[in-house]
This record gives sequence, structure tokens and C-alpha cells, in this order.
Amino acid sequence: MLKLVVCIKQVPLVSELPWDSRTGTLRRELAEGMINPACKHALEAALQLKQKHGGEIAVFTMGPPMAEEVLHEAQAMGTDRGILLTDRLMAGADTSITAFTLAKAILKECPDFDLVLCGCYTSDSETAQVGPQLVEELDVPGAANVHHIELIGKTLRMKRISDNFIETLEMELPGLVTITTQEFQPRYVPLKGLQDAFEGSDITRIGADDLGLDMGKLGTTASPTKILNVYSPTAKKKNIVLKGSAKKVVEELFDRFEDKIGGAIRKDLKVEKKYNE
Amino acid sequence: MSENNRSIWVFGDYRNYFQNRVTLQLLSRAIELADKISASVCAVVMGHDVDEYVGEYIAHGAQKVYVIEHPQLKNYSIETYSYLMERLARIYKPEIIFVGATMFGREFAPRVAKKLGTGLTADCIGLDINEDGLLVQIAPSFGGNLLAEIITPESRPQMATVRPGTFQEIPHDYNAVGEVIRIPLPEDLPEDRVRLISTERWRKKGQRIEDARVVVCGGRGMGSKKKYKKLFELSQLLGGIIGATRPVVYAKWVDEESLVGQAGKHIRPKVLFSFGISGAIQHTAGIGDAGFIIAINKNINATMMKMADVAIVADANQFCTALTRELKKRIRS
Amino acid sequence: MDFNPCMKHKLIRKTVRMFAEAELGPIAYEIDRDARLPMEVIEKMRPLNYFGLQAPKIYGGAEIDSISYAITIEELSRVCAAVGLCVSVHNSVGLYPIERFGTEAQKKQFIPKLASGEYIGAFCLTEANAGSDAGGVETSAVRMGNHFIINGTKIFVTNGGICDLALIFAVTDLKNPRESASVFIVEKNTPGFSVGEIEDLCGMRANPVSSLFLEDCRVPENHLLGKVGGGLRIGLVALDTGRIGVAAQALGIAQAAFEASVKYSKERQQFNRPISSFQTIQNYLADMATEIDAARLLVYRACDLKDSGQPFGTEAAMAKLYCGSMASRVTNLAVQIHGGYGYSKEYDVERYFRDAKVTEIYEGTSEVQRMVISRAVLTKLT
Repeated sequence: MLKLVVCIKQVPLVSELPWDSRTGTLRRELAEGMINPACKHALEAALQLKQKHGGEIAVFTMGPPMAEEVLHEAQAMGTDRGILLTDRLMAGADTSITAFTLAKAILKECPDFDLVLCGCYTSDSETAQVGPQLVEELDVPGAANVHHIELIGKTLRMKRISDNFIETLEMELPGLVTITTQEFQPRYVPLKGLQDAFEGSDITRIGADDLGLDMGKLGTTASPTKILNVYSPTAKKKNIVLKGSAKKVVEELFDRFEDKIGGAIRKDLKVEKKYNE
Repeated sequence: MSENNRSIWVFGDYRNYFQNRVTLQLLSRAIELADKISASVCAVVMGHDVDEYVGEYIAHGAQKVYVIEHPQLKNYSIETYSYLMERLARIYKPEIIFVGATMFGREFAPRVAKKLGTGLTADCIGLDINEDGLLVQIAPSFGGNLLAEIITPESRPQMATVRPGTFQEIPHDYNAVGEVIRIPLPEDLPEDRVRLISTERWRKKGQRIEDARVVVCGGRGMGSKKKYKKLFELSQLLGGIIGATRPVVYAKWVDEESLVGQAGKHIRPKVLFSFGISGAIQHTAGIGDAGFIIAINKNINATMMKMADVAIVADANQFCTALTRELKKRIRS
Repeated sequence: MDFNPCMKHKLIRKTVRMFAEAELGPIAYEIDRDARLPMEVIEKMRPLNYFGLQAPKIYGGAEIDSISYAITIEELSRVCAAVGLCVSVHNSVGLYPIERFGTEAQKKQFIPKLASGEYIGAFCLTEANAGSDAGGVETSAVRMGNHFIINGTKIFVTNGGICDLALIFAVTDLKNPRESASVFIVEKNTPGFSVGEIEDLCGMRANPVSSLFLEDCRVPENHLLGKVGGGLRIGLVALDTGRIGVAAQALGIAQAAFEASVKYSKERQQFNRPISSFQTIQNYLADMATEIDAARLLVYRACDLKDSGQPFGTEAAMAKLYCGSMASRVTNLAVQIHGGYGYSKEYDVERYFRDAKVTEIYEGTSEVQRMVISRAVLTKLT
């Protein structure tokens, strides 16, 4: 039976963020969460594989206890079990330690996986690093930014766009892919699925002890990178306001900013005045 | 290790024009930073028939170039290249490694960092050396609406991927001399577990919106699907890419792939035109890195207008028509 | 007593909101203008269980609790009240009475079709001379062998224009309407069943509210819901449930109007500052927020009583009365805050304002809710 693992992350719903654009402070603990958009595409890819080949989907997420919500949502979409990695010791992990912790949990809960699917990047920290680093931790073949997958026996054929090249790749499973948001438009969540997900959910909670790991290996402490400071870029925009008839404003726009626009499009937009007048 | 053995490495990414440019840009910044920690600047080049790039990197400031050349390395491979990079780094122990944040670099660097057990900061838009001699990596999050300063205090090398266009390359100097260190392909190189079946240049859609120098975004204020179509002509004139807000994508005026914002693409154009967009956070979460913003909206108080460098109070659709007409005139002349 | 929404309720809210904003948000204005129910969206809602919200799973329903139901209607109505209305009526007074009063055979025959959304349901009590006063029903059902022959005209039928199945109130004895009131399950394809013109209404315009004509409609006796003369009781139970739905609609509309007002008041500048900095506007917003919150608690309380099997009729009436009048007040203030723009169709608050009004009218006017409530209050105190 095909054993699929999907790693997803709960990210803050920005529309709901208690957000102060002047000070750049976020109170993330107050924010409502959602499944990171790219992770939802990875879920959809896994669900389509399951529909075609049968099998079982285990979903892993790491986060605060409230992140359990995304496992229920995944289950409502059609996945089979959820594993929540939650522990105060795990908090503040950078991508390297996140990948390490996830790998430990995958090897504990789903050691005989065939394919791990991740979203290609998260909308909050946008590193796109956890997927590739998980490849290293699990020591399997892997490819990032895949938009098409096809399973033939134990061979996974993939397509991706990488720096203006379309690549067709193949690897033998077990392996890992990260899925872009280009294809695999996620399905809507059915309400019966939600009801079922809360009635009989198969969710395992895992803490540091369960993985046999202590503080020295986890979270902020173990992370090689340290965040010194987070701030909101204080772009001092002049905010010039132009008003009037469209024709006049267009002329004014070019008169004043023709270099800016011309520079960006690499064209000379100057008009010889003598032709104009 | 003695001071003068310190080095800053730049991964020689050369697969296409833009990838090659980011390598040159990184060399330029590496030279400035190397000065502060008295390090040398090295490039690492892997592949086949790469002499051209070796020469180019020396001309752009690399004091030393490590080269692994072999027909087997003809195609870019994440697994093989990261394996080799780890071997080199373990032998020569660079202080810092920079990798261009190209699609390849963004997959390659985390693999290398993990193999070396060190930290990595993604997609930096600024790099500096602090008073302790540590690399300060400035990385955006939430679509550029927040910036973080990150260091790697203990592990080495310190690693960062850097966005193309962040730094200016220095002019080339073909009289510059650099040391070229050729390293043979290890005999015990493991077989690549990911097989490249085919690769072709991707031309269909031209540039990606994430890389576009000009983006023309339209929102509901354009009025209708028909009127929205006018933006395509304008965008084409500007050599730009169309972007959209969520309501417009939902209304099927434009495809999902044009969606800019939290759930869509994060863009960083030099110039962003924003037509009839109110500026909901779902959208602005993706434009924090835009350079010069020109917003057009009937409502002067729309958030988008306040974020703009130039806020034009006008009907988005009428202004689009006028701008297109004028632009045609100017481009012709 | 726990006032914190649980994880399930939060997730249901997000799920429905996401769907509604994606599918209904872009067309809400246009379908109101064109008075068109968006069948293409209804089609997408079918497999997502919107038409079998509380129906038992064995019949293909989602079997969600009543608070989840209210949240679903609230979130649909927040984006498009007319579709919220369609779903609410279908579930609460179209499907639920069959689940509650139907025979096993009737349940098996009709609930799967309704719960899957293959059938859209309607509920027909109102006539030219009958509404809240069910005693005035003039539609007749005459037994002929193992059939009933139904004749009459029903008006203001929500979902009338698209319903596949209607619960029809008819009397078997015109001299004794109250005692002989009965409910019949009538399918659209029954000969003699026809749909009248779609009403041109003030609000909820995307819902095809219409008259239904029954001319010598032959309905088999096994389509009688409950027993002859059991109609009034079915009606009362259905309306208790329906009131929760209407209250949730009103809540959703008010929420949308409030959000629009907060946004607009922060953007709109007068005297060089946003109008949200003026105390009068602040007071309006504070009142709106408070009333919406109070209304929400009333709705969820009624739901909670229903789910725990306690009497909830009075509480549902209170919720409906308060939510309806609250929605009218809140949408009125929303228009006021928007000034001239609020009176224009360019802004959604104009639609909210029109949509809100009917929540004080249908499924029992506010006056009738007060009758229901006062009756309970007076009984208790004597």
C-alpha cells in the first residue's frame, strides 16, 4: 500500500493579524491560523495520488497546540491520520532544526513511507528550505518545486520549472517532493468531512520526550541561525498625489518620472519637446 | 586557522544569463565584506566547458576559483553539486558561502547547509559584517512587509542565498589575475538518485511575475473583465507581467497564476502599477518589495494609494487607456 | 458555560467564509442586480454538504450541530444573503420536517435527494389570506381513494422558482382549517404543480421567490407528512428551526455591514482626518459591534438548547426578533456612515440595507415573534 506523508504548516491568516504597520509588531499568538497555501497544494497532490493508486496519507505538522486545527482540516479533505509535533522545547526552530525534528517524527511514526510531499514555501517565512533539508535528513532522493507527478510502479516521474528550464525528472521511491502552487488546485473542504474529522480524528501528539530528544537538539537552542531583530521596513515614500484629467496626469507622470519608468522598462521615453510643441 | 586563510565563497551559478549575473553581483558584495574580515574571495564552479565562467569570475573580482570540471557534470544536478560542495567546504573551510537565490540556488543551498550542519538564511536582500565579525543576513518575511536580521554565531560556514538584483556587479577587468584550483571529480562520487530525463528551455510564458521588472496589477476598480483586458496591452508595452488581486481572480477576469499577495505570488518589480486596487492586506502582503509604486484609484484614501510613491486620483480604466496611448507615442518616438 | 468557540466551530467558519468569498463574493452584486440564483455555485455547493447540513449521515447529510449550522448560514449570508436564504430555507423548513415527522419510507425516499442537493426544497404556508395565521389556509386537499387532490395558490415561496420539492400546507376540511391542516410532500413534476412569476422584491433579489399553483394536483397518500390534522404542529416545529436560520442570516448581513463600515470609516477623510476619528462615528461603530455580539450570543444559545434537546422555541423567537431588528439598525447605520456612497449601488452596504429588512418579516414578523415570546413570558409568570 502506498504510504504518503504530507508535511504542512499553519501560518497566520494575515487578514486577521493583529498587525501594526507602523511599529511592525505582530502578535502571532493572537492570530487565527490557516494551512499555508502551498501546503494545501501538496495535500491535493497527495489526495490525487491516493485516489489513483490507493494508499494512506499521514499528515505532519509542527507548531503550538492550536496547530492541531490544520490536521483536522487536512482530514476533512481526505487524509487518514495526523501527527502534531508540539512542545515548548520545539519552539523557535530554524529550518535546519525544523527539518531535523520533522524527520525524526516521520521515521518514528511512518518509517516505511513511499513519498513525502511538502509545499514549496510558506507564506510567512518564505524560506523554501525545509523541504530540501528534509531530503537530507531522510536521506532519500528529492526534488523541489514540482508541478506534475506521475507514479509508475515505484518510479516517480516529475516535471518542474527551474530557472527557465522545464525539467522532467525521475526517481525511485521512497523520495520527497515539494509542490508548487501552479497546479493541484486544492479542493474545497466538505462540511461532512469537517464533522467527521472532529468526531473520530486520528491525531497523535508528539513531544520532545517521544522523540527521545532534549533541549540541546531542539528549538531555538539548537538552531544554527539566530534572529537578532525583526522590523518593518520604513520605506519613506514621498506619496506624491496627482489629480486632474487622465490625459494631463499621464503627461505629468511622464514629465516627472519618465526616468523611473523608462529605467525599469529599459526604454527611452523622452519626447523631443520640439515635436510636441 | 590563520587570518589570511579566511575566505568568502560564491557559488558559480551560470546556467542562464540571470543566474550568471547574480553570481557576479555576489562577487562584488563579497569583495566589500572580505575587506572587513580580511578574507579572500573565491568562486566555486562545477560543470563541463566552464572556462568561460572561470575567466569571467576572475575578471569580476574572484581571487581564487575552485573548478570541478567533468562531462558528467554537464547538467545541473542538486544531488551531485551539493555533494561536491560539501566535500570542498569540508576541505577548505570557508568562513562564508553565498549562493544566488535562483530556483536552483534555493534548493541547492539548503541541501549544502544541512550536509555541513550549518545555518542558512534564505533570499537575503542585505548582507553586512557586524562588530563581532559575524555575517548579518537581512531577510524578508510576510512578502517583504517585515525584515529580519539573522546571524549564524557558532556554526561555519555562514551561509546565505541572495536575491538577484540586490547588489551591483563591479565592472570587469580582464587583466585581473586569479588563482585557478582544479579539482578532479572524486572517483567515489555516488550515482545521482534523481535522473534527468529531459530538459528544455522554457519559453512559453516568458518571465515569471516574481522576477518581472515591471508588474501591472489590476483590481476590481478596473470595472469589468472586458476593461481589465486593457491592462494586458499596457503590460505588454511595458514589457511587464499582469498581476491581480483575489477578487479579480475569483471573478475569473484573470488566471489564478496572476494572483499577487499572501495566497499568491510575492513580487519585487522595479516599478509596480496598481490599477483600481484598494490595498487589502491579503494583496499588499505580496508587494512589500516593490520598488516604485504608481497607484491609480478613484479613492484617494485607499490603502494602496497611501503606500504608493505616486498616487493618481483617477478612474483606473480611463487612466489605463490614456497611459497606453501616451506610451505608444513615446516608445515609437 | 463556555463562550469560546471550539476548534471545530472556528474551522467551519473559516471554511465557509473561504468558499463564500471565493465563489459568491465576486458575483454578489451582479446576481442581486439581475435577480439570478447562481446555479453554477449551487452546483459546487452540492458535494460540499451545504444542502444536508444537519441531515443524518446515513442519508448523506453532514450531521453538524446547530451552532455549526448557524455559523454556516451566517457566513454565507455575510457574503450573499440570498444564497444564505436558499440554503437556510432548504435545510430548516424543507428537509428538517421530513427528518422529524416523516415515515421511514419518506425519509429514505426524499432525504438523500434533499441532502445531496439534487432536490432543492421549499416550504409553503403563506397564501393571500394566510401567513402567520395558519387558520386562514384555503388550499384544500381532498382524499380520492389512495390519493389526495390538492388545489390552491401559495405565495412568497422562497426557492419557489427552483424548488424540486415543496412542503405544502393544505386543509382537508375547509370548515375546520385548524384541525384539518396537513402537510404534503409535493414534487415539482407532479401534474398540476406549476411555478408563478418570480417576485420583484426589495432585497434578497437573487433568491427566486415566487408563487406556486396547485391545480388538481394528485398526490399519493404516502406523501402526507405526519397525519391529517397534524399540520399546525409541523408548522410550528419547522418555524422554530427556521427562525434560527433567519436569525443567522440577519447576523451575517449585519456583520458584513459592520466590517464595511469599519473599513470605510478608516479610509474616508473629512476635515483632513479619517471619519473614524469622529466621536459620532465611533459611537455608531461601538453600538453596532455591541448589538452584533449580543445577537450572536442569542443565536448560539438557541442552537445550544436545541442540540441539548431542551425547548428552544422562545429563545429562537428572541434570537430572530433581536437579530432582525438589529440587522436593520446596523445596516441603516452602515449606510449612514457611508453617506452618499452608502446610498449608491457602488457600495455593498446598499444591498445589505435592502437584504436586512426582510429578516424582520419572513418566517414570522417581529410582531409575531413578540406574540410568541410574550406568551411564554406571561405563562411563566402566572
